[in-house]
Parts: sequence; structure tokens; C-alpha cells
Amino acid sequence: MTAQYLSFGALALVTLWSAYKVVTARLITHAALWMALSFTSVSGIFLMLQQEFIAALQVLIYAGAITTMIIFAIMLSSIREIRVEPQEKRSIGQRIRASGLLAVVVGLVFAAFMTYVYYVSEIPKEAVPDAGLLTVRQVGATLFTRFTVPFEVASILLLLAMIGAIILTAKETE
Amino acid sequence: MQLPIYFPLGLGALLFGIGLWGALTRTNAVRILMFIELMLNGVNLNLMTFTRYYYPENATGPILTLFVMTVAAAEASIGLAIILQIVRNRGTVEVDKVDLLKG
Repeated sequence: MTAQYLSFGALALVTLWSAYKVVTARLITHAALWMALSFTSVSGIFLMLQQEFIAALQVLIYAGAITTMIIFAIMLSSIREIRVEPQEKRSIGQRIRASGLLAVVVGLVFAAFMTYVYYVSEIPKEAVPDAGLLTVRQVGATLFTRFTVPFEVASILLLLAMIGAIILTAKETE
Repeated sequence: MQLPIYFPLGLGALLFGIGLWGALTRTNAVRILMFIELMLNGVNLNLMTFTRYYYPENATGPILTLFVMTVAAAEASIGLAIILQIVRNRGTVEVDKVDLLKG
């Protein structure tokens, strides 16, 4: 029981710290790598919730595919984050807008509001006992019987995204 | 599961809040894409938490999360393609410099 709290605390700490570093890291490649760490520790929390299928998907899709794609895009396009400090004097309103204080407040207020909603909402006390956990086999069976049409629509969506990305990035040739 | 449900739910909300903060402060388009992924991650965490605590025998939660991941992957690829085109045509990746339609 204490081990559960400890491991959850460690994973949550890593998740939040790396998400914070995604915002504050100066180099964009570092931000991408911190994002991969955040995804990996969220996958650990999925393992704690005993959803090993989703944990594996999280590592494969997020930490593997999306991070690699973003790093490739950064490398291919020579996107550099050049922060030019403006020289002229700025008014207080402009400085507040540039510092992003409003965004910090919005993010914090949202997180606090959601936590408050969870705290006061009438979540049923009796959670389902641990017996009869879901296996990957059951997930697959449900996916290919009850959710066949959404599955095919998702495939079409991925195909369209692939074609669209190729068309958007292909160079014009005569 | 002895862990109170508020812990993972609060973590998901905090993750979403950090993503929202970043998406509103940063102007680099690639970073904004990263923060959108972070926010979707928080949403997935909430989905899986409710699935685990109240419907552990129901496969609908993992499948919905799978679809969220599919849409996130499609969105990331299209978004990066659009950003590459913007870099190629306008030479900038800052979203507040792309203001051709500004009156």
C-alpha cells in the first residue's frame, strides 16, 4: 500500500517535472526529449492502473513515433528558436502580455478548478474490486466485433493523414 | 486499488494545465504541437483512471483511448506538414509572425 503511494508519487513527480521542462527548456530539441520522458512516465502510471495494453501503445505511439516525428521535423527544417530581446521600452500591459502571466493563471486556474470539481463531486466510494481485469485479448475481441466501423474509420483517417502529409510536404516539380 | 482516485485525476488535470500554460505562452508552432500532445495525454490519463476504478471489465475505455491516440498521431503528422510548409514559404516558425490575414 505504501509502495503504491511511493511509486505513484515518483511517477507523478517525473511526469510533472518533465512537462514543466517542456515549457521552460530553451532548446526545442531538449523540449522534445523532455516530452518523451513525460510520455514514458505517464505510461508507467498506465501500468500502475493495470492497463498494460494502453501502456505499450503509449510507449509505441507517443514516446516512439510522435517524438521521433517531431525531432525529424525540427532537424529537417532548421527550426531555430532565436529569442530576440526587444530594445525599446515597453508599457506595463505589453510586458504582462509578453511574460505570459495570464497563461500561467489560466493553466493554474484550470487545474485547480478540475481538482476542486473532482473533490466535491459525488464519486461513488465503492470502487469495483480488483477481480476480473481486462486482458489484451478481450480488448482486441471487442475492437473487432463491436467497434469494427469506428476501427475502419480510424484506418481511413490515418490513411488520409498520411496522404495529406505527403501532398503538403512534397516539392513542386514540373 | 488502494490509491484514492483523486491522485491520478489530479495528475491528469495538472498535466492538462501545464499543457494549456505552454500552448498559451510559447509562440513556436512545433512547441504548441507538443503541448497539444501533452494535453491529450492528460485526457487519456483521466479516461484510463475512470476505466480502471469503475469499469475494469469493460473494453470501451481502452478502445476510446486508442482512438484518441490515433487522432493525435494524425493531427501531429498533418500539423508538422503544415509547419514545414510555413517554414518553407514564410521562413518563420513563430505563430505570431504568420499574420498575412491580419487587417
